[in-house]
Amino acid sequence: MSAATHAGGRGGGPLTAVLAAFDAGAHSLDEVARRCDLPLDTVRASVDHLVRMGRLEAKELAIGCPTSGCGSCASGTDDGAAGCGSSAPSSRRSGPVLVAISLRR
Amino acid sequence: MTTVPAVPRSAPASCHDDGAPLAAPVGAPLVVLAGAPNVGKSTLFNALTGARRTVGNWPGTTVEVGRGGWLVEGRVADVVDLPGSYSLDPLSPDEALTRAVVLAEGPDRPDVVVVVASAAHLARSLYLVAQVRETALPVVVALTMGDVAERRGIQVDAGALAAALGCPVVALDPRRRSGVDGLVEAVGACLSGGVAVPRLVPPAPSQGPDELAAADERFGWIDTAVTASVSAQVMTRRTWSDRIDRFAAAPVLGPLLFLGVMWVVFQATTTLAVPLQDALDALVSGPVSSAGGWLVDTVGLGQTPVRGLVVDGVIAGVGMLLTFVPLMALMFLLLALLEDSGYMARAAVVTDRMMSRLGLPGRAFLPIVVGFGCNVPAVSATRILPNARHRVLTALLVPFTSCSARLTVYVLLATTFFPAHAGTVVFAMYLVSILLVVLVGLGLRATLWRTVGADPLVIDLPPYQRPTVRLSLSVTWLRLQGFLRTASGIIVATVVVVWLLQSIPVGAGSFGDVPVSQSLYAELSRAVAPLLSPAGFGQWEAVSALLVGFVAKEAVISSWAQTYALAEPASSHDPGALGAQLHETFTVASGGHTGAAVAAFMVFLLAYTPCVATLAAQRRELGTRWTVFGVGLQLVVAWTLAVLVFQVGRVFW
Repeated sequence: MSAATHAGGRGGGPLTAVLAAFDAGAHSLDEVARRCDLPLDTVRASVDHLVRMGRLEAKELAIGCPTSGCGSCASGTDDGAAGCGSSAPSSRRSGPVLVAISLRR
Repeated sequence: MTTVPAVPRSAPASCHDDGAPLAAPVGAPLVVLAGAPNVGKSTLFNALTGARRTVGNWPGTTVEVGRGGWLVEGRVADVVDLPGSYSLDPLSPDEALTRAVVLAEGPDRPDVVVVVASAAHLARSLYLVAQVRETALPVVVALTMGDVAERRGIQVDAGALAAALGCPVVALDPRRRSGVDGLVEAVGACLSGGVAVPRLVPPAPSQGPDELAAADERFGWIDTAVTASVSAQVMTRRTWSDRIDRFAAAPVLGPLLFLGVMWVVFQATTTLAVPLQDALDALVSGPVSSAGGWLVDTVGLGQTPVRGLVVDGVIAGVGMLLTFVPLMALMFLLLALLEDSGYMARAAVVTDRMMSRLGLPGRAFLPIVVGFGCNVPAVSATRILPNARHRVLTALLVPFTSCSARLTVYVLLATTFFPAHAGTVVFAMYLVSILLVVLVGLGLRATLWRTVGADPLVIDLPPYQRPTVRLSLSVTWLRLQGFLRTASGIIVATVVVVWLLQSIPVGAGSFGDVPVSQSLYAELSRAVAPLLSPAGFGQWEAVSALLVGFVAKEAVISSWAQTYALAEPASSHDPGALGAQLHETFTVASGGHTGAAVAAFMVFLLAYTPCVATLAAQRRELGTRWTVFGVGLQLVVAWTLAVLVFQVGRVFW
């Protein structure tokens, strides 16, 4: 795949293209994949790498709940109890996980 | 970067081997196993070395490695199982060790690097391959997790991948030891071949070495390899999801579809749960109440106020809550099915877009979505917002999201006063809630936070899937359990307080022997009632429920059950029935405009302070000043809106 096409007209490879898509306001990784014409797996790997490089910031946002915590708790503690505002979701938390990714300025 | 001491090949690591001789002889060829975490590297190492291995810390480090002998075409190789590492650019001691061992020079230079890559996450696994291929080290890619990839519809052509990477690729399953012979053959060939030809890397940009440019080039190379070797089946699956998303996440159709789905959820909930609710109601008000009364009489407390507390308070209050269990269970189940199917992630995108367009902080939608379950964690969830102004703004908006505790009151009033359209009425309350969030948000932005910008939000949309019954049931049970645990504690406590207030006479009478209309409870409510007369429900029975609701909305219905159980029967046809009593109260209070008064009451209930627990959470997050401002804002909005609804509604109802 041509690297030039990834960035939607801008030069560079997948990483540059992914950064450009974020910058242009893409709302989901699917949308990033569509805009960059890249497989989703490559977009996910690119995002992981950009996070490692410090170019992107990713934060996991939980709407699930811990096994024995409050029924609608957003952030259960690791011991499974309801713990509002924990820094990370409980490892025992069930339910879907959303990841918010933002460009580091 | 962490410095890692080199170790002569085949020397014992400072492991738990207590100096026991290694199976590999001194001078044996060195084969290193590298790869990202959780790709099956250690399983492969165990399959290759069997019992001839030791595990321990690498000398001079706390990093644990495995080391053992492996028979490769007649000679024993020294195999080192390195810790998981995504790349040769270390961010941890584990990755520093991997880099040091792989890039070691002189006698410690590896003879072959086996990079273990997962077929299920191929692109992620290939960055390390790209870096190692830039050296003259012979590389073999061991492709694992083919079964996991296949279950996800991913098929990797090992031959095409090998051609794209320029090194051997062996598909194997170390758990079943299948494909290991192929690895033996490939590594044997490398050991005989010696030095490999590094892949050609374009020169660095003229402005000097650039980390991003180098990584970008590697990802371009990875993308070419993935595109050449991964089957189109994955693309087909994604296209199928994409096709649905063209409607589900579309700017105009998406929000309409979301509203339609939620209407179906509330309609189904209120319709299907009714027979079960009726059965439970009959059970609680009949046999359970009788049994409770009999028990109190038997222990000799039948003539004391305790009978009222147990039968009319605890049993009536908790029993009333229990009748809502089928309804809550059904709603939680339907929402869990929507979540598990992947639709809720689309709803999140749709909501986020709406908020962004209105100029509200995009990320604020997450705490607000949480708020529809419970406001307390939603206020705490505002911590995810990086900007302090966003946090204050969102925490002030959260109380306007209609939590599940308010749902029980909506359902009771909707089924009592609008039985033919109960589902639609409840749905309308959620629409009003969303509208309030948007309008109050816009109002605050126009006045207090004119400079608040919007943050972009990116969400990883999973493909649609058939919901798992077991998972959905388990999530439903967890949420129901949480609701019941919170509600039951609050209800028992408030029932006791309400009972105490209803037992204290104002004027004539003695403790526990006073009509509820002449109790301190009624008197306190009467003091506030005139304020709510313009909204059409300035009757003490209605106002008392709102006072109790200030503590927690879960206790609103139980307080009514308590009040009306002690009052005179309102109707000779249906003595003691809560619905008939409520009808009487609202009709008297509104001067006959019952529908308008009930609508105004529901709007007030939605908009005023959710509960003391939310206030505590707000105080923790925002401080006392903002919390007091929030309470004032909610009361002003609630009162204004309720008065508006009643005054306009009375023209039609």
